[in-house]
Amino acid sequence: MNDKITLQTRREFLRAGLLGGALTWTVPAFLANTFSALHSEAAQSGTQAATGRDSGILVVLQLAGGNDGLNAVVPYNNDFYRRARPKIGVDANTILKINDDIGLHPGLAGLKDLYDAGNLSIVQGIGYPNPNRSHFRSTEIWQTASDSEKFERYGWIGRYFDNCCGGADPTVGVSIGTQMPQAFSAATPTGVSFNNPQSLRYNAGGQGKNGAMSADEKTYRELNQPEETDNSGATIGAVSGPTAHAGTVVDFLERTALDAQVSSDKILAITRQVQNKAGYPAGQLGNSLKMVAKLIGGGLPTRVFYVSQGGYDTHTNQVGQHQRLLRELGDSVKAFVDDLKEMGASDRVLLMTFSEFGRRLTENANGGTDHGAAAPMFVVGPKVKAGLHGRYPSLAPADLVNGDITFNVDFRSVYAGVLEEWLGTKSAPILGRQFEPLLLI
Amino acid sequence: MLSPLPASKWNYSTAAHLLHRAGFGGAPAEVEELVKLGPDGAVDRLLDYEIIPDDTPAPAWAKPDPARADYQRQIQALNQKERLATTDDEKTAIAAQRRELQQQFEREVTLQVQELRAGWLERMATGPRPFQEKLTLFWHGHFATSAVKVREPYFLWRQIETFRTLGAGNWLQLLRAVATDPAMLIWLDQAQSRREHPNENFARECMELFTLGEGHYTEMDVTEAARAMTGWSLDRPTESYLYRPPIHDNGIKTVLGSTGRLTGEEVLEIIVAQPQAGRFITGKLWKFFAGDDPDPALSDALADAFNSAGQNFRPLLRVLFRSGEFYSDKVMGQEIKSPVQWLVSSVRMLQRPMPPPAVSVEMVRNLGQDLLAPPNVKGWDGGLSWITTNTLLTRYNQASLLVMGQGNLPPAGGAGPGQAAMARSADAMARQMPPININNIIPASGRQDQDQLLAALRKRFLLAPLPDDHARVLRAYLDEREQLRDDDIRHVIRLLLATPEFQIC
Repeated sequence: MNDKITLQTRREFLRAGLLGGALTWTVPAFLANTFSALHSEAAQSGTQAATGRDSGILVVLQLAGGNDGLNAVVPYNNDFYRRARPKIGVDANTILKINDDIGLHPGLAGLKDLYDAGNLSIVQGIGYPNPNRSHFRSTEIWQTASDSEKFERYGWIGRYFDNCCGGADPTVGVSIGTQMPQAFSAATPTGVSFNNPQSLRYNAGGQGKNGAMSADEKTYRELNQPEETDNSGATIGAVSGPTAHAGTVVDFLERTALDAQVSSDKILAITRQVQNKAGYPAGQLGNSLKMVAKLIGGGLPTRVFYVSQGGYDTHTNQVGQHQRLLRELGDSVKAFVDDLKEMGASDRVLLMTFSEFGRRLTENANGGTDHGAAAPMFVVGPKVKAGLHGRYPSLAPADLVNGDITFNVDFRSVYAGVLEEWLGTKSAPILGRQFEPLLLI
Repeated sequence: MLSPLPASKWNYSTAAHLLHRAGFGGAPAEVEELVKLGPDGAVDRLLDYEIIPDDTPAPAWAKPDPARADYQRQIQALNQKERLATTDDEKTAIAAQRRELQQQFEREVTLQVQELRAGWLERMATGPRPFQEKLTLFWHGHFATSAVKVREPYFLWRQIETFRTLGAGNWLQLLRAVATDPAMLIWLDQAQSRREHPNENFARECMELFTLGEGHYTEMDVTEAARAMTGWSLDRPTESYLYRPPIHDNGIKTVLGSTGRLTGEEVLEIIVAQPQAGRFITGKLWKFFAGDDPDPALSDALADAFNSAGQNFRPLLRVLFRSGEFYSDKVMGQEIKSPVQWLVSSVRMLQRPMPPPAVSVEMVRNLGQDLLAPPNVKGWDGGLSWITTNTLLTRYNQASLLVMGQGNLPPAGGAGPGQAAMARSADAMARQMPPININNIIPASGRQDQDQLLAALRKRFLLAPLPDDHARVLRAYLDEREQLRDDDIRHVIRLLLATPEFQIC
């Protein structure tokens, strides 16, 4: 009953907002507060207002393809490492040393700066039981936070939205890219994704009289409204991922169209008004983080941003490629943190990297590495407990499984920590059971 | 299961459904023609395409070219020279020489890949064999080979040509051709696999993504299959497949329960003989053509039909397109058009020419389907993942451009430096595109009665029903026009294309 009221209220609100002509970007704070205040579930659960302007923000950075953790966080004095990687092992003289055993790849100078400033925690040996070496399956496991043998339909961030942000503004989740990540898929899909804010707008054309909406614009907006029926609120509530029931695909499209209308004016206005305050390296990751910094600076009520960097599937001639990727990663993340500091927003932001797997300890014949298992994660922000966490997995032959180093920390412990400490919500309903939260903040 | 749709249910809607799914849709007259042929005749017309001549020429450069092998040699020679150089100045000069050579080569590759993409879109829209192109598109998404890694337009053309010629034939034959296809040998590193260090990339993806699916093989099967497949290689000078016995591992292997001195070919035979093999590939075909995963009973029925047809695709697809299941409510009007489907079918329904090459290629790229550059080895996810807030609005804006012409084409972003230049030239060309010719769509006599006009447009453009209140909105829009000029009708069409319903087929 409550659900239905909320959804209908949301619909009515959107309808009034969109068709009443209130299209300028003065709405977001109002939108944000209205939605979270309206949502009874969020209020009862005692979580902080899901879309408030002062809440913590999580940035998830996917390193797609399987980042070679062993060459990113390097056990540079380890004999097993040297023996397994005669060609591609990182030269100990170039290592950015963290202690006598462990150091960062020279490409990660940006992350080393953050480490020295107390803004980086490195979690070693992350993974999950029965690791899967398929890119897609393992990415799915990370995105849905499922066990290796189980298939979860929704993503862990999507379940967070379902649990904590019901009825929220669609920009509660923002993905920079052409596709919505599986982590966002949810019973009630929430979130917007885009590459270029310019294209996040329908140019209806036509001229209205006295600044009013043109007939074309008005007609377009009405054609993209869910049909008015008695159970229209329930229709939106029933949108549910990829399985198609009669009408579901259209419902999904209508909802997306509506979300697009609500978000596009705001996002465009922010990207025009807010200036970045740090220089970013050229490249897609830099551009994505630059956009995220603007949206944070502009006060978009987003709780989770999602960005990605591809190219980590280094089966052949890894050295140069990995160097480029890590440099882009380190420099972009450093620029992002600097930018947020200048904007006075860095305390609210936590960035977390993940990759579907690490790579095999032993290099292959093509100067590359094949799919492996455990790997480190980077967690970045002024509020993190800086330093090394967890243990570096043993490289001794007897401790390897199928040639791979094994994990000591389940990635869902990191998720649990982030959910409980940073996003301020109980993790068990989202992750399916209670994982020991890794305290990084 | 899979019993034929009764002839009594053969009508405009079912025929339009077939034309969109087995082809790329079309104008009402084309649908009516299929209605007249009856369901058997309509399916045969699409599937038995060999009797229709198709003289689309291959690009002039699509053949082995000694100059390309020579290029590789030149680069290697320069690398060698750089290593041996004694002074920094010398090294710098050689590096600059190499860079110039590479840039020149890359420019040519980029233009040729662009030509392949645009030529293919044109062929889908105007070629005489729409089903052949649709099936070829399926195989491209299935084997998902990308120009990002395979910088050899001739190889890419050859792979697509292989899909075109073998795509409706036998599974093992196609699989063999793909396993030894030069583009695939590069794409999944098989050309670099050696007895001493087998590369598992192709062996793994072959079982996981091409033939069996996750969970139907073990890690050991991957390792052993990779050993068996060593020896499959590429001969650069002739730009063709070459089997090299010295690098083949001739030892005993066990793959999926079979043991022996297995060769790669034998591994492929073992794979397609697995009971799961028929279920997997027919399931993927069902998903591509019908839009969703088959339920277990349907999956078994499809696999049976496939196996009893000697694992040949054409007879299986004939059964599929004739089946009652294919025309059920769960299938009809329930699929989100892929970007390629969206563009090609829009062009066909609008009876307008395909936009200039730069524009057509840019349009599908903006929507998330960059032909010859699938996002990863798994191909495009398809379905709901085609639609985000961003891509939906981009569809709407690009539809405006197709209808009204003379618009701009903002890049969707995420483009590299080379793509940014292409996006700019596409934008410049988009500004010169003419609008659609309304006389092709609505004859002057059809413009008097507004309800009749609206009905004709809905019949032509929408496969999903338009909600009543949305129909009223459009009717109200028409009522506000005093008389219906061509441009007013264009505006209505453009609005019709900017609806959730138009995204569905």
